Amino acid sequence: MINPIVKGMTGDEAVAWAAKQINPDVIAAYPITPQTIIVERFSDYVNDGLVDTSYIPVESEHSAMSACVGASATGARVFTATASAGLALMYEILYVASGMRLPIVLAVANRAFSAPINIHGECTDQMVCRDASWISLFGETAQEAYDETIMSFKIGENPEIMLPTMFGIEGFIVTHALERVDTLPDKAVKDFLGDKRVIPPCCTFNPFAVGTFGSLVLQDNYMELKRQQEEAMHKAYYVTKNVMAEFSEISGRNYEIIEKYKLEDAEYAFVSYGATAGNAKAVVDRLREKGEKVGTLKIRLYRPYPASDIYEALKGIKAVSVLDRSATFGSPATIAQGDLAAALYGKEDVPTLHGYINGLGGRVLLLPEIEQIYEQSKNYHEEGKALTQDWIGYRR
Amino acid sequence: MKKKEIPIDIQNWHINKWGTEKLPIGGAVPFHSSYGYKTGNWSARKPFVDQEKCTGCLNCFYYCPDSAIEMQEIDGKYVAECDFNYCKGCGICVQHCPVNAIEWTKVRWHTK
Repeated sequence: MINPIVKGMTGDEAVAWAAKQINPDVIAAYPITPQTIIVERFSDYVNDGLVDTSYIPVESEHSAMSACVGASATGARVFTATASAGLALMYEILYVASGMRLPIVLAVANRAFSAPINIHGECTDQMVCRDASWISLFGETAQEAYDETIMSFKIGENPEIMLPTMFGIEGFIVTHALERVDTLPDKAVKDFLGDKRVIPPCCTFNPFAVGTFGSLVLQDNYMELKRQQEEAMHKAYYVTKNVMAEFSEISGRNYEIIEKYKLEDAEYAFVSYGATAGNAKAVVDRLREKGEKVGTLKIRLYRPYPASDIYEALKGIKAVSVLDRSATFGSPATIAQGDLAAALYGKEDVPTLHGYINGLGGRVLLLPEIEQIYEQSKNYHEEGKALTQDWIGYRR
Repeated sequence: MKKKEIPIDIQNWHINKWGTEKLPIGGAVPFHSSYGYKTGNWSARKPFVDQEKCTGCLNCFYYCPDSAIEMQEIDGKYVAECDFNYCKGCGICVQHCPVNAIEWTKVRWHTK
């Protein structure tokens, strides 16, 4: 374990600081609330000469990701950041990045979609990108934002994987909240990631080894190339596990792809991701004081989905309430609940699943509301309802 | 005119039906010249040069969009010949031949 350098930083500043220590070759980003601070701070670092990064000020997120794709194809280490509408504008190029197997790292300051226009936290923006073949992580605190920035590079750049990685921190709740962050020394970050990206042979674009990238591939080969992505995604699960174990060793903070909290003897559980997990843990502590057997599970790695780990963690539990801070309409389950249901379907001893859409547009999920969720899911379980979907925290 | 030889398995990567294990990741194609891509089986009609009539004027050589016409020395005289591995059968050479030495024939042609 390396002695940390303690700093007071917001989530965005933590990401920018991590990016400064990583010193990527290229950053192309466009500012959008609540991600702005990342870009602001980083442009300061560029101006002050603290990094060697080429900073490309682009005119939109579509261009930002396009510039990142071009830069990454040359073998550069590339970082960018966005939020909400920006991520939606990037959506087309997200598939180009993953299809061309470029390990770009994208920090997402999760924010609600318009309309009505809203700048506050909600994870829908990242959730809708879950099928884009991007490795997807969620962070709960500024500390995790810092750590996941560093880990994301290590995961995506693995020559076996070569997939882009995005990690989300919730707008304002994490991005603008000042917290204690234990940072690593610059040298430790450098040693962890290596000076330059490891580039597999046929995948660079430079004057000495040229090739054709993103060429037209029709019925004959398209499916094989997509299947390669799926196989890389499958490997990414193991690689992420290893990277997190390695990072835990140097940082002294225990990272796992799922975080179990008081689940050992629990009868009921919450499942959440991102900042909501903090609320859930607080409620678990409160309920435990009252003698209720309840625990919580935080999904840190959302894609590839750690189905087997989650099943092992939730086996034998009676009912699970999924706290989902992302909207979906007309769906039989919330987004996170749908994946969870698929992961548990047909297995033995599985809990009943109750999904709760909460906290849209930065609405605060109050602790009494989570207690209410707990009572309700208990009732649902006793009534024998296996899967329900509700909204919580809105006025009638 | 010298052809750059490229590895045979790259030449025929689409014919050999590579799967996930062999295809380059991300669909990145290693560089080689367009000689590697045999496009001759795209067409239904092919130009055949009557080498008796050909005067070696080079009209077809310059007009061919695929550079499929090659000039060959036969008995001290340069005559045109079409490389059917690359000819897509557009017929431009037929139109431009001043002595009507090129015959545009329907043919089923399979490149190897």
